[in-house]
Amino acid sequence: MAEVSLETRLGDVILKNPVVTASGTFGYGKEYADLVPLEKLGGITVKGVSPFPSHGNTPPRTGEVFAGLINSIGLQNPGLDRFMNHEDYLPFLRTVDTAVFINIWGRTIDDYVAVAAALDSESEGIAALEINISCPNIKEGGSSFGTNLTLAGKVVEAVRNATSLPLITKLSPNVTHVADFARCVVDHGSDMISVINTYPAMSIDINTRRPCVSTVAGGLSGHAIKPIAVKIVYDVARAVDVPIIGMGGIYSAEDAIEFMLAGADAVAIGTALFSDPGTPLDVIAGIKTYLESWGINDVADIVGTVLTV
Amino acid sequence: MNHSRFQEVCDVLENCNYRGDYFQITFRSRLITPGVKAGQFVHIQLPDMPHLTLRRPFSVFDASTDEGTLSVIYKVVGAGSTALAAVERGKRISLLGPLGNGFPATPIGRGIIIVAGGYGCASTYLIARGAAQPGVCLLGARNKADILVEDAFAATGFRVHISTDDGSCGHQGLVTELLDRVLTETAGASPVTYACGPNAMLDAVADMCLARDIEAYLSYDMNMCCGVGACFTCVMKRKADNADGWEYVRTCRDGPVIDAREVYREDGTT
Ligand SMILES: Cc1cc2nc3c(=O)[nH]c(=O)nc-3n(C[C@H](O)[C@H](O)[C@H](O)COP(=O)(O)OP(=O)(O)OC[C@H]3O[C@@H](n4cnc5c(N)ncnc54)[C@H](O)[C@@H]3O)c2cc1C
Ligand SMILES: Cc1cc2nc3c(=O)[nH]c(=O)nc-3n(C[C@H](O)[C@H](O)[C@H](O)COP(=O)(O)O)c2cc1C
Ligand code: FES
Repeated sequence: MAEVSLETRLGDVILKNPVVTASGTFGYGKEYADLVPLEKLGGITVKGVSPFPSHGNTPPRTGEVFAGLINSIGLQNPGLDRFMNHEDYLPFLRTVDTAVFINIWGRTIDDYVAVAAALDSESEGIAALEINISCPNIKEGGSSFGTNLTLAGKVVEAVRNATSLPLITKLSPNVTHVADFARCVVDHGSDMISVINTYPAMSIDINTRRPCVSTVAGGLSGHAIKPIAVKIVYDVARAVDVPIIGMGGIYSAEDAIEFMLAGADAVAIGTALFSDPGTPLDVIAGIKTYLESWGINDVADIVGTVLTV
Repeated sequence: MNHSRFQEVCDVLENCNYRGDYFQITFRSRLITPGVKAGQFVHIQLPDMPHLTLRRPFSVFDASTDEGTLSVIYKVVGAGSTALAAVERGKRISLLGPLGNGFPATPIGRGIIIVAGGYGCASTYLIARGAAQPGVCLLGARNKADILVEDAFAATGFRVHISTDDGSCGHQGLVTELLDRVLTETAGASPVTYACGPNAMLDAVADMCLARDIEAYLSYDMNMCCGVGACFTCVMKRKADNADGWEYVRTCRDGPVIDAREVYREDGTT
C-alpha cells in the first residue's frame, strides 16, 4: 500500500500533519521544547498577543472540574514589542520547522489592527493569524466581539485590511447559531475558522463558598466540551466552504478523527497537553494507523465524511 | 533552565503511610533523578482518574542517581492525593520533571538556616543533604503528628529545632520565633536562609530576614496546571522595573524559589 499522507492543506497554508496546539495551552512553544519534538507538530498556536503587555487576572486562575478545566487566565502576555523581538517568542518560533499561528486579541478594533499590521510587516515564519474574538470590546460597553454579529464582522474586516497573512477566526460557542458567525466572518474576509473557544462556566467550593477562579466564572475546556465542539464543527462545515480547525476536549486520535469526520480539516489539542505533553504525537500516530487500517491514503479523504442518512 | 526535563513513566517501588495524613512514595526514575536540585518538583499524573486529568505537583524529597530512585512526601488533602495514597507497588505512573528553578547552592563557610513548615520539609531536605557544611534546621507544624523527617535532617549533621502550635513537640509557638533566635545567634556567620511552608510563613520569614539584611530564598506553593510555564495559571507577584512596580511570574518555571528581595508585597513593604 502507498505511504499514507498526513499533509494537510488549509488554503495556502500547508501543514505536515493535521495536528496543532491550541492557543494558551502551549505557551510560545519554547516552554515545551525539551519535552516535545516541536518539528513533528503540524503547527503551534501561541498564547494570545495584544499590542500592550497584560498582567492578566488575579489568581486563582484555574480550577479542575469533573472531566474538565475552568480557566480565567485573562490573556496575560508580554505585549507585541516583546513578542516580536525577545528570544523567547517569535524569534525562537522562527527557528522551528513547523507552521506557526499567532493568536491575537484586543480591547478595541484598533488593538487588533495594531497587532495584525505589525506582524504583517515582519511576517517571516508566520503561517497565519488567528483572531480570538471572545474578548470584551471596551469601547462598546464590554459586549464580546464574539457574541455580536456586527462587531465580529467589523473586527475581521479591519484585520483583513491590515494584513495579507492568512486569517483564521476563532469563534465562541456561546451563541445560538455558531454557523451564522462563521458565515459572517468568512464574508468579511476570514480564510478559515477555528472552533471552539472555551464555554462559560462556574464551579463553587462548598466549604469556602468561593468560586474556583477569581473572576467568579471562567471558560470550560477538556473532555466535558467535546460533544458540543463536534456538533459545532459539523454545523460550521455545512455553513461555510473554508478550512476548519476543530478543537475542544481532544485527548486521543479517536477524538481527533471524530472532529475530522464532522468536518474539521485540522485539529488542535489544548487541555490534554497538561495531562500529557506527548498527546499531539500520539494523535498523529493514531490518525495514521486509522487511515492504514481503512486503506485510506490521504487524510483529507476523511474530512466531513460523517454519514447522516 | 540548564537541565533537561523529561516525561517518564516510573515504577512505584514503595508507597507507605509515613505518619498521620502523610505518605511517602518512591519511584524508579532513571531519567529525571540525575538532574534533580533541591527545591525542584515533579508533576505527577493521577492513576486511573480519567475525569481528573491535571497532574499534581510535589517537591522531590529525596533522589538517588546511583539507585535511580526518587521519592515524594505528600499529605492527603483531596481527590488526587487520596488516589495517590491507594497506589500499590508495581504501578506505573507518569512523572514530569525535574521542574522549577530549585534553591541556589549553599555557600561555603557561611551559616545555613532551613525553615520548613508542614510538608515544606520535603522540598528542603536535599539542601541539608547536599549542604556545603551543616547548619540549623527549624521544623514547624501544628502538632507533633505533622512534624516530619526530623531524623533525616539530624542525620545530615544539621541541628534540628522543632516548634508546634500546640506545644506537643518542641517549642510551643511559631517557627518564626525560633528563627528570630537563630538569626541572632548566627548573625556573625552571615547566614543564608532557605524556607518552604505555608505562604504566610514565608512572608514572615522574608520580613525577618530582610529586616536584618540576611539573604533568604523562599519556595512558594501555587495551584498549577501545566507545570512547565505554558499556561500562566500559577502566577505570583515579583518586583519589576515597570510602571506598576511588579509583574506576574510563573511559580512553576520562574519559581517556586524566589529571592526574598524580589517578592512584591501588596502592603508596599519591601
Ligand atoms: C511546587 C509545589 C510543591 C509541592 N510539594 C508538595 C509536597 O512535597 N507534599 C505535599 O503534600 N504537597 C505538595 N504540594 C501541594 C500539592 O500539590 C497539593 O496538595 C495537591 O495538588 C492536592 O491535590 P488533590 O487532588 O489531593 O487536592 P485537590 O482536590 O486539588 O485540593 C484539595 C485542597 O487542596 C488545595 N490545593 C490544591 N492544590 C494545591 C496547591 N498546589 N497548593 C496548595 N493547596 C492546594 C485546594 O485548594 C483544596 O483546598 C506542592 C505544591 C506545589 C505547587
Ligand atoms: C489555560 C488556557 C488558556 C487559553 N488561552 C487562550 C488564548 O489565549 N486565546 C484563545 O483563543 N484561546 C485560549 N484558550 C482556549 C483553547 O485554545 C481552546 O480553544 C479550548 O481550551 C478548547 O480546547 P481543549 O478542550 O482541547 O482545551 C485557552 C484555554 C486554556 C485551557
Ligand atoms: S502551571 Fe502552567 S504556567 Fe505554571
